[in-house]
Amino acid sequence: MALFGTLLSISGSLLLTPLLLIVLVILFLASIGKSVGVRRLYVKTLLALFEYGRQHIEIANKQKRLSDDSGFNSEDEGDNKRIRSTSETSEESQQRGRPKGHHRNGSIKNGVSLIQREDLILAPDPCHNKSDHNHRDSSAPRTSNIRSHSVGAPTRNAANSAKGASEKGDNSEQEDEIDSLALDKDHRKLSFETLKQEFELSDCLTYIKAGVEAIIEDEVTQCFEAEELRSWNLLTRTNRHYEFISWRLTVIWMLGFIVRYLFLLPLRVTICFVGFLWMAISTSLISLVPSRRVRRVLNQHAMLITFRLYARSFSAVIDVHNPQFMPRSNGICVANHTTPVDIVMLATNSCFSLIGQRHNGFLGLLQRALARASSHIWFERSEVKDREVVTKRLQQHVSDPENPPILIFPEGTCINNTSVMQFKKGSFEVGSVIYPVAIKYDPKFGDAFWNSSKYSMMQYLYMMMTSWAIVCDVWYLPPMTQEPDENAVDFASRVKSVIATQGGLVDLMWDGQLKRMQAKKEWKERQQEEFSKRLKVE
Amino acid sequence: MGNTSSLLLREDEIAQIQEKTGFTPNQIERLYSRFTSLDRGNCGTLSREDLLRIPELAINPLGDRIVHAFFQEGTGDSINFLQFMQVLAHFRPIKKNKDLKLNSREQKLKFAFKMYDLDSDGKISRDELLAILQMMVGSNISEEQLTSIAERTIFEADQDGDQMISFAEFCNALERTDVEQKMSIRFLN
Repeated sequence: MALFGTLLSISGSLLLTPLLLIVLVILFLASIGKSVGVRRLYVKTLLALFEYGRQHIEIANKQKRLSDDSGFNSEDEGDNKRIRSTSETSEESQQRGRPKGHHRNGSIKNGVSLIQREDLILAPDPCHNKSDHNHRDSSAPRTSNIRSHSVGAPTRNAANSAKGASEKGDNSEQEDEIDSLALDKDHRKLSFETLKQEFELSDCLTYIKAGVEAIIEDEVTQCFEAEELRSWNLLTRTNRHYEFISWRLTVIWMLGFIVRYLFLLPLRVTICFVGFLWMAISTSLISLVPSRRVRRVLNQHAMLITFRLYARSFSAVIDVHNPQFMPRSNGICVANHTTPVDIVMLATNSCFSLIGQRHNGFLGLLQRALARASSHIWFERSEVKDREVVTKRLQQHVSDPENPPILIFPEGTCINNTSVMQFKKGSFEVGSVIYPVAIKYDPKFGDAFWNSSKYSMMQYLYMMMTSWAIVCDVWYLPPMTQEPDENAVDFASRVKSVIATQGGLVDLMWDGQLKRMQAKKEWKERQQEEFSKRLKVE
Repeated sequence: MGNTSSLLLREDEIAQIQEKTGFTPNQIERLYSRFTSLDRGNCGTLSREDLLRIPELAINPLGDRIVHAFFQEGTGDSINFLQFMQVLAHFRPIKKNKDLKLNSREQKLKFAFKMYDLDSDGKISRDELLAILQMMVGSNISEEQLTSIAERTIFEADQDGDQMISFAEFCNALERTDVEQKMSIRFLN
């Protein structure tokens, strides 16, 4: 028994020393802000592994399809597409780190779409209703309005043009003329204005189809769930099917499991703990310093070290683009929100003041620690409703040139990093310079999205620390200011589309608060108004 | 409570649904994962609230009627996956030389007819049409004007003079409409 005890203690101390050494090296590197490149090498290895895994899955799937081919002889688009979709990921893995091209805004790009929406797609503001999949922007209704005709639905034209004159009464002749111009089904027909049309029984069909399409696939509800991966990344949590594919993959998965849970997890937890200790100690010490100037400088360095430690505790690999646009003086920095860890990703390079709701629990502790050493703005929930107080405090903060730039997430809630939802106009009313930042995570290595309705903070952190790594791209964008004739809402939209374009995200008009609240009645009323405008009444 | 929702469908369930609706196994699986993600309470069925939680459906003027179409066959307040699929099957595109399960032109027209026929008596009365019009325009047009629109529509479609539109008259009125395109959803895979 005693022998076993001594063996244990010897092996413990043997393993402990190199572990401690590793931790110390990491701490040292964090404090000077340099990296040896271990994480990047790790990520490269993982990529090669995923590629191998993907090819393997493909081969296994092919064999499976060959073996039970008789059951599925469908000629339509069919199961063969599934194999083809997995083969696209080889280009994807080469393009890691670059945005996946310019998405047609409004198209559903979360994983693979199930349907293609060709007709009506409703939006909270009817001038953003997409009536045709080629014609995404809102200029179509406006041009028709200029000619003082009301907006017409394309479907009416399509039906009429194909079928000729209908018995619509006096307007039939004029409609025929217009219809004969709009013969083909593509988007050019939208630019032909239509007269107000009489009600027909077929008018409702467009809305019915739009409704059923929304039930099958809609832009909003999928933003609040983790992104679907095209190919399995060897984590159980992303494997929808839990089916057995091959022995080799299972072995790789088991090795990965051991590495992640038994080696990486303790390492990461240790570093995170050290980071937290450092933050607590340094902020308490800094708060004792009397001189504000000195405190600011010390705080800057201490925060950088803190967040670098946190970044290492997730094995974060951050690719920074355009560092010349990094906010140095004060101002408002605006970014898309996926997780609270966004702050860590951004704060490894520059120092920010933060603004947000006061939390309880673990986040609350962090908030209080940070507030000791520097000026952050934490709100009580009741105060958040009072927008004037928020704006005033923001203005106060921004007007003092000594203050660091303030980091705001105007979406107000975490979105799953495939789209950018409506930016709240509050931070755009302050009148200061806006520094947009786009953050895009690579979901293959670990899904960074915090689904707050499903997981608590602790569960989320645990999942983060047992993923492979967190890999993200950060793009700093040129600063933007409000144009003289632009209101805050349009300014917010403009900034949002710049961020969405850079990050390769879908630009949505919908409010992120739909995560928790129901759609507003006014939006339905606006759709009703839109339809009534097109209806001819005697 | 034996009604647990499993993440996977069994092979025989998929085959059964394929037989009844004509969807491919891949589509069935994708739609099943959509079904489970809409099913917040994880009870294996969807309620009306689950569907109306979709913002784009909630702002659709006919949203309530569409949801009602899913809950029609005396199924009470919840539908299971098969019932869900059977409604969606109406919107499959029509392909030549293929067995039309639930997506023939007549089936599609029947679905559209049910949108208008509020009391499911097989006829669209003037009041029903008026109610639908009110759903579509809200309070933006007065009731008198809507009534006259409803009366005119019935007058144009009514052939047997009973002041109501039967299913046959409805199909006749929509003869020139490209129902196949308007009531079909393009599935990608």
